[in-house]
Amino acid sequence: MSVFVASLAFGVISASVLAIASIGFTLQFAVTNVLNLAYAAVMTASAYVAYEVNQAGVVVWVSALVGAAVGATMSYLLNRVVYTPFQRRKASPITLVIVSLGMTLIIEFGTQAFVGGTNVSYTMANGPTLGVGSFVFTGAELGIVAVAVATMVAVHVLIRYTRLGKAMRAAAANRDLARVCGIRTARVVTVTWILSGAVCGLAGVVFGMNAGSFGATSTDIFVVLILAAVFLGGPGEPYGAMVGALVIGLGTEVSAAFIQPDYKDVIAFVILLVMLVARPTGLLGART
Amino acid sequence: MFIRGTGSTRHDAWWRSTRLSRRAVRVAAAMSASAALVLGGVVATSGSATASVRAKPKGSPLVVADVAPFTGVDAALGPTYLVSCDAVTNAINEAGGVLGHPLGCKSVDTRGDPADAVPAVQQLFASTPNVSLVIGCTSDEAASVVPIINARKVVMFCMTGQSEFTHIKFPYFFRLVPPDLATADAMVAIAKYHTHYKRIALAFGNDIGSQTFVTPAVQAIHKVGLDLVANLTLDLTATTFRTEAARIVAAHPDVIFTEALGSADATFLSEVKQENHGKPIPVIGTSATISPTWYSSVSKAVGATYLSKDYQADNLVTLTSGPAFEAFKRAIFSMKGKVGNSGNFTTYLSAPGAVHLYDGINLAALAMVEAKSTTPSVYKPYILSIGNGSPGAVVVNTFAQGVAALKRGKKIRYIGPGGPTSFDAHHDSPGIFQIDKYGPKGQVIVAGTITTSQLRSVK
Repeated sequence: MSVFVASLAFGVISASVLAIASIGFTLQFAVTNVLNLAYAAVMTASAYVAYEVNQAGVVVWVSALVGAAVGATMSYLLNRVVYTPFQRRKASPITLVIVSLGMTLIIEFGTQAFVGGTNVSYTMANGPTLGVGSFVFTGAELGIVAVAVATMVAVHVLIRYTRLGKAMRAAAANRDLARVCGIRTARVVTVTWILSGAVCGLAGVVFGMNAGSFGATSTDIFVVLILAAVFLGGPGEPYGAMVGALVIGLGTEVSAAFIQPDYKDVIAFVILLVMLVARPTGLLGART
Repeated sequence: MFIRGTGSTRHDAWWRSTRLSRRAVRVAAAMSASAALVLGGVVATSGSATASVRAKPKGSPLVVADVAPFTGVDAALGPTYLVSCDAVTNAINEAGGVLGHPLGCKSVDTRGDPADAVPAVQQLFASTPNVSLVIGCTSDEAASVVPIINARKVVMFCMTGQSEFTHIKFPYFFRLVPPDLATADAMVAIAKYHTHYKRIALAFGNDIGSQTFVTPAVQAIHKVGLDLVANLTLDLTATTFRTEAARIVAAHPDVIFTEALGSADATFLSEVKQENHGKPIPVIGTSATISPTWYSSVSKAVGATYLSKDYQADNLVTLTSGPAFEAFKRAIFSMKGKVGNSGNFTTYLSAPGAVHLYDGINLAALAMVEAKSTTPSVYKPYILSIGNGSPGAVVVNTFAQGVAALKRGKKIRYIGPGGPTSFDAHHDSPGIFQIDKYGPKGQVIVAGTITTSQLRSVK
């Protein structure tokens, strides 16, 4: 099997992890208008709680649900305790970005204070394998791809076919107008924090499964890849995030087949820069 | 639920009526959470920075600063050194301390990053007036912190192998580990003369400490006529290395030379095994891979059998018996259960950071006693005479033996578990190499030695 074909398959798996994280991030950003850089730190904290549950003998996929619940709770608290008071005081978007950076450090090092500086791994079986052409996927890898597809379908159904989804789209388009139209925007925002937080927690666990092992600071670079996928697809565009994740995931893995692999993240940003020059609003963003 | 009905403002009214109390709750919650997190951080920092000082010596405490990564990808290094530091300082304090002063260890987290290391070291000196010795200073941060520590005129025993320290002289810099150049040569010598591998793949982390092995290894591989079939740099912050593993497997190497700390080697080697249809490719690691933490993470990922059958590493020859080793073993094992540990605790007895820093601290402590001063500029020259020995010197294996001999008016030569030292003009004591393996339970087994002629042939 050529390294190129293998890198394509690996790209799909990397893109799956990135897609789950990016969808949650962009959904959060679209509706709440907060560029929450603490998102990756919440991912890690959720992954750690899921790890503790997993070590207590619970199957990793069930632990992932616990991770999702933790992510939802943390995101809810983050909004209520930190971001909402700032927004009420009319803090500028850049101020909120700085606050979220601060929260990243607090959550990340708070996690590290409790769990220590070393890495941990989930106890899980790779499961049965599936050959696709000359490439063999393990059960765990297939599970990750399946979770990504399920998340994408769920988000699609949510935003297209549910009352909440309509309200979210309205709040994302124009919050004041949505409020005037009778939409409880505050409640929509709160629910968005909870739902996107759940996706964030799930992404944290899947990230840990895919990485093999993870530490409190493991997502430091990953958040940059999330941003790349989100902005490549068009900020606030869930479908754009899916496409962006696929492009970034494939781009990084395929490039690693041909160049020194420690430069593969650089490739992600070369793709992003080229794309933004050609289309500043992202692949699926509205034309300016 | 989400789209309000006509005239429905009850929620807003309720919100306004309870705004003050809810705000108070939020503020309190935020303060509590922040306080908990900050306190958590402080506790974590001071937890590892706690000076392990016994009450026996009456003088003011002296600090041995463990300047090393405690977080980040090389987070395993600092705690390993701290185990050794706590062990040896406890033994010294039980022997009465240094001139009546107890020694204590303090951790200084460099995060394995030169940029983070500089403020950490400056803060150390600003906040700790009684720093008598610095240990650690790995290749991750040595280039940035050694000049600072040297300017402060504080003796340091560093774990860096960077070759620049064999060219630039820092009077307060000492090391008991070989330059990375020699370590890379030793890895090639194992492949050439002991295992007879021909096709070599390199997979080193992208940190400074790992990258310093690459160029000398490539040169040595070409010099002895082996084939370099792949040379990949692993991003230690990456989450997977599947494509890298596929490239390695496609190159069909006989052996992989590696040092990628943190979680990288565990992930990388497990993915190589998976890509190679479950068949392991043999590995030769640097001495940094002789570590309980490395063993623990990698054995979980690839299985203990892989490491006991297909793994070797070069390491400096250290003693495995005799009075020096027994004293070292006692001191290290007194730490068992008191420090966080993963893997087999006996690995500390072979871990270079544990062995050589134990010797370094003993050498410095005995130099202070002989110099009758804890001032580094005064006691520094005695490190050389005690380490290299002088005519008529009595050989001692522990701090207590050394103090007793000095009280009798004898000259002493310290030989610890790292064997005899031989400092050169740059305060390097390179030593000779052995080949280490892991046993089925993670214990370190000496599998052979690398002769001087073998090492010379690859240079």
